[in-house]
Amino acid sequence: MNKTLRNNPVTRHLLLIVFSLLMLYPVIWWVGASLKTTAEMSSPSIWPSTPMWENYTKGWQFSPEFTFGRFFGNTLLMEFWNVLGGVLTSAIVAYGFARLNFKFRGALFSILLLTMMLPGQVTIVPQYILYNKLQLMDSYIPLVLPHFFGGGAFFIFLLVQFIRGIPRELDEAAKIDGASVYGIFFRIVLPLIKPSLVTVAIFTFIWSWDDFFAQMLYLNSVGKFTVGLALRMYVDQFEIQWGRLLAMSLLSVLPSVVLFFFAQKHFVEGIATTGLKG
Amino acid sequence: MKQTVYKGLTLLMLSAMLALTACGSGGSNKGESNAPGDNGDSNAPVKLKIMWQGADIRHQAMLKTQEVYTSKNPSVTFSPEYMAWDDYWKKLPTLAASHSLPDVLHMDGAYIQEYATRGTLEDLSDIDLTGVIDEKTLENLKIGGKLYGIPISRNAQGMAFNKEALEAAGIELPKKDWTWDEYFDFARNARAKLPDGVYPISDTDTWDFYQYYQMSFGKGSIIQEEGKKFNLDKELFMKFYGIHAEFREKKIVPPADMVSSFKENDPQADPMASGKVMTRGATVGSVGALEQLMPGKIDVVNLPVGPEGGGWAQPTIFLSVSTDAKHKDAAKAFIKWFVTDKAAGETYGTNFGIPIYDEIYTALEPTLAPKEKLGKKLYDTSIDKAMPFSPAAAGWTEWIDNYKKTMDAVMFGQKSIEEAYNEISKSGNAIAEKSGK
Amino acid sequence: MLLKGDEREMKVEAVHKPAAAKLRLAKKKVKGTNDNNLAGYIFISPWLLGFLLLTAWPIIQSFYLSFTEYSLLEAPTWTGTDNYANIFSSDNDFKTSLKVTFLFVLFSVPLKLFFSLMVAMLLNKSLKGMNLYRTAIYFPSLIGGSIAVSALWRNMFNLNGYFNHVLAWFGIEGVGWITNPHTSLGTLILLNTWQFGSTMVIFLAGLKQIPNELYESASVDGASKVRKFFHITLPMLSPVMFFNLVLGIIGSFQMFTSAFIITQGGPINSTYMYALFLYDKAFKHYQMGYASALAWILLVIVALMTAINFLVSRYWVFYETDGGKQK
Repeated sequence: MNKTLRNNPVTRHLLLIVFSLLMLYPVIWWVGASLKTTAEMSSPSIWPSTPMWENYTKGWQFSPEFTFGRFFGNTLLMEFWNVLGGVLTSAIVAYGFARLNFKFRGALFSILLLTMMLPGQVTIVPQYILYNKLQLMDSYIPLVLPHFFGGGAFFIFLLVQFIRGIPRELDEAAKIDGASVYGIFFRIVLPLIKPSLVTVAIFTFIWSWDDFFAQMLYLNSVGKFTVGLALRMYVDQFEIQWGRLLAMSLLSVLPSVVLFFFAQKHFVEGIATTGLKG
Repeated sequence: MKQTVYKGLTLLMLSAMLALTACGSGGSNKGESNAPGDNGDSNAPVKLKIMWQGADIRHQAMLKTQEVYTSKNPSVTFSPEYMAWDDYWKKLPTLAASHSLPDVLHMDGAYIQEYATRGTLEDLSDIDLTGVIDEKTLENLKIGGKLYGIPISRNAQGMAFNKEALEAAGIELPKKDWTWDEYFDFARNARAKLPDGVYPISDTDTWDFYQYYQMSFGKGSIIQEEGKKFNLDKELFMKFYGIHAEFREKKIVPPADMVSSFKENDPQADPMASGKVMTRGATVGSVGALEQLMPGKIDVVNLPVGPEGGGWAQPTIFLSVSTDAKHKDAAKAFIKWFVTDKAAGETYGTNFGIPIYDEIYTALEPTLAPKEKLGKKLYDTSIDKAMPFSPAAAGWTEWIDNYKKTMDAVMFGQKSIEEAYNEISKSGNAIAEKSGK
Repeated sequence: MLLKGDEREMKVEAVHKPAAAKLRLAKKKVKGTNDNNLAGYIFISPWLLGFLLLTAWPIIQSFYLSFTEYSLLEAPTWTGTDNYANIFSSDNDFKTSLKVTFLFVLFSVPLKLFFSLMVAMLLNKSLKGMNLYRTAIYFPSLIGGSIAVSALWRNMFNLNGYFNHVLAWFGIEGVGWITNPHTSLGTLILLNTWQFGSTMVIFLAGLKQIPNELYESASVDGASKVRKFFHITLPMLSPVMFFNLVLGIIGSFQMFTSAFIITQGGPINSTYMYALFLYDKAFKHYQMGYASALAWILLVIVALMTAINFLVSRYWVFYETDGGKQK
């Protein structure tokens, strides 16, 4: 192929536009379907004959007591603590594993990895019994608390990889200047991995938005429901309110989209500047 | 230094575990000690934990009913928890495991066997329902001689058909008390008159639909004696699925990959609502949903009958009291009021189906919506020939899943009917034997 | 706008290099950093505490439960190694779901790695509006396991779905892709590949860190694009590739959501993923003890795969800064 043609920005744009549209076809379908009546849902046409904006207005007005505003508020509040916990603690733990040599480090790191490999379905009931005994039902604590203990194995592992990519010479230099390991962490490592913490924040946000099973177990009153749980109320045994369900679930991905859009610059470049080395 | 850290950690870990085990053994008897308002002082305030499942209309009606109850019994308030069907049945086992089931809970015919047999529900035989629910109905609902749920509505199994499309194609409509032969003939005749891609009846892969066939010919239910006896009639099994195999070949039933995409009551995937099939099984509850998907187009008939009858008519929605309940008497009093009081009935209306108590139903009758009328019609057509409701016993859920998977393999041509019979009866006998021990 | 990324990279370099150079000398003096026990435990204490207080107990419990019969509704009863014996001797669903899961891992992990690497390379360019393209392309990964996905996937791959309409233009008659036992697993693999966003983001980061000088000097030597890809991009990217591979395998072995909401394991077990089988046992068939045994078997399998991965990584993963040293 002609080299200049391939590097031509116009060609590149065209390629990207076509590819983006292909990836976005489902979204286009989704927007269309969210405006359909139940009867129209089975027709293959993408766009409804008359758009049912009602799906959005009535869907938002969830029940006489609560609107989706409440559920978005609940979820965002929970997300705030999740993200805060993950960001605050994952770097600390990762630094310990990546840089400090202590007894049983290898064994403990293996345990950390192993906790990712045991399917959560078999630990969730003992975990529930534990929180139940601590009288923490119908609160966000069981959902938020784990994020304050290192934010989960995935993120610790990820940050360990980032920190390993920072040249060790920097630590040594600071050490000569009289810095302690704590000083090195706060003055050298933390500023350097700050951008990659944005990655942790984004992934935490997106993944806890989706994690309905724990939310379903721990939250009892509808007033405390997250968006994910409220959406599931539309799927009844005999009646699925597809229009409202699709309308509201489309809205429910918007916070993640907006967050991704504004944060991607930081995290794409963030990882780049610190480097990701094994 | 290293040693101390290690020792310290070991100690920490051990003490953490000890503390947790201590909690573990101490926690279980907590439930029984603090039960104010029970036995004795009836005016002490009681907060009843109550859980149910359904759609929003039902939730609202249920909440209002509780308000009415509180206004009449000011000492009783409620802590409600409600969700849709799937989540409800997902959450319940975990609650049972942690001994935190609510005082009052919604039960369903498909689940009550498991929960009752495994000791999570209270016997409610002592609630006096004379003149409200007839003795025979209650007797049928007993599991091991005990009543674990008070029925709140009536249900029946029949069939729905696409009246509009069948009439348009000039096909004679199904008639009340049609026989299985007439059902199959209906399918054969309709095939010729229907356009390509539209089918008179659907294929079947679930155990209950075959069971209706076996029972109507007097061969009894498949799972008997609370799961200790397994009874699958080979001759009828071979005949029933043999006919369906023939139909598959003649395109009287849809192809296998279409059948497995069907999902009842889902507007996109319902066999009837999607326009693919002319008939399907329906209950009082589900026919209303179907009516909403295809308003004015459908009608109902009872399931095909044999010498013994056809289909069933029996309550499948219950209110139960859990063994974890902290206020058992208050819970029972509420349930009794819920089933027998007219003010209660007026408030929840037909949100749980046709109310079990005739007086409540008669008061509601003039206000019924078309979908509810259709449900009532289904109930009325089914009741004369109805056979006993024969649910699976506790411990049989997996066999039910495997039945469907095996029959799917037959549908896709991967297994012969005989092989399927052998597999299904082998695993059924094994479970029956295990339950017998 | 166009140069911003490069500028920042240079700035960081500028900060690092003198500091690094200044103290390369000092490095020789400070030797051995082994007495960091206390500090080490202080740093990992958040995780360690959480592990001991919240995670360890449920894990130990599940191990204990794997030797019991436990319906969740009743108290567990000890049955010794019965569960394990039954799983290995007579459980056909175990064999089937293990086979399905291995097939899924075998296809979806490489496909996802390949696809996300290609897209990352496409997006690793400074171009106006790249933010929008990235967001659009990341979108499918955002919708995750939303209930809407099941409707969507059905709309695309059912008998009268979108995909068959496209095939019809070419005169091909489609099947019910999701509901046909031969193709249903394929559509789940496709869905999984389509949600490649997180993997892609990590690749993108890896690509961004490859020094431009390497490509420039290769260009001077007259290397072709293909050659540059195989001799620069791939080796430099190998640590990232390794990371994605390890986590991809761990994640795929536990794949649950799409099988659960779209196919429920059917038709005829063709998409009966191991995690779904385990879930059914635990929450649908009231056999939590048996499910726990299944979970521990899966743990051993995945741990073995991961260990092999770490071993093999010595031969293909190229570590620049540590001079080939691991951990």
